[in-house]
Amino acid sequence: MSEEMMFEAMMSGVTTNSVGGKMNNDELDRILSRPDDIQPSSGFAASVMDAVRAEAAAPPPIPFPWTRALPVLLVAALALLAVAIAGIAAIVQISRQPAAPELAASWWSSALAPYTSGAVGTDLAWTAAALLAAFVSVRVSMRLASGKV
Amino acid sequence: MAMSAADDQLAVERVLGGDISAFEEIVRRWQSPLVNLAFRFCHDRGRAEEMAQEAFLRAYRNLKQWRKEAAFSTWLFALATNFYRSELRRIPVYVPIDDVREPTDPRAQDGGLEEEDRNRAVRRAVFALPEKYREALVLFYFHEMDVPAAARSLSLPEGTFKARLFRGREILRGKLPQLLAVARLKEA
Repeated sequence: MSEEMMFEAMMSGVTTNSVGGKMNNDELDRILSRPDDIQPSSGFAASVMDAVRAEAAAPPPIPFPWTRALPVLLVAALALLAVAIAGIAAIVQISRQPAAPELAASWWSSALAPYTSGAVGTDLAWTAAALLAAFVSVRVSMRLASGKV
Repeated sequence: MAMSAADDQLAVERVLGGDISAFEEIVRRWQSPLVNLAFRFCHDRGRAEEMAQEAFLRAYRNLKQWRKEAAFSTWLFALATNFYRSELRRIPVYVPIDDVREPTDPRAQDGGLEEEDRNRAVRRAVFALPEKYREALVLFYFHEMDVPAAARSLSLPEGTFKARLFRGREILRGKLPQLLAVARLKEA
């Protein structure tokens, strides 16, 4: 229901008799031209100026460091893309293989082969490298945020 | 109130030049109109002052956007009106149209009461109008029946504004007798 319809409905709900005729525009103008005007409270201007001074004293918003962030974002996007491509390729490769249980088992056994054949040391090196990369990225982010770079 | 467009321009230039205290001149000059405009929209003194304060803050933040093609007051009223309208859409005002207050002036009790109650009922009936007609009526009377000024405040073409004003008054005039009958019944 539109606002106008609601108003009409509300008004039509008044069932009492009409008293007096329709008001003319002059009478309406006379009444509505003299509303109950108010005076702002005595501290209003001071309160506004306090807010304005607080606004002026507040530091300007820190702009996002696009020049510094852009290379990192680009590298992150490329890495994401590479992971997505590798993931899709792996899925395609798996879907091409017959779904026989023995073949699936052999896929799992080949995937787990490095762990079972003593190649765990290589994987630990990769894990350490990944942790180091994460640590460096956190430190660089913190330095960027504090503006020390 | 002694106001001059040149005073406004000078104060704005000083503020833009870094003299924040010059903004106080603007606040003192326009506080009454802005608070009253807000009051006409919401009929609540506390809320009117809060809305007017926020309007002044917005004016301060956007002072650079005043193009000086129109008077500063026109820009300020348009900014304030725009903010008040969005604020009232966010938290609508509720003014019961049949809520007729007791007169504060005892002299009104021996004759002035009926007319005063009727006038209040008329003013409150404006709040029951659909938003677009209510805004047109509020701004028309706030700008002392100056159609171009009121239309500019609402950023509307004059023709559209006049149509809304006409329709708003039509609704109000047509339904007022019923409304006033309610007010009189309450008196009895």
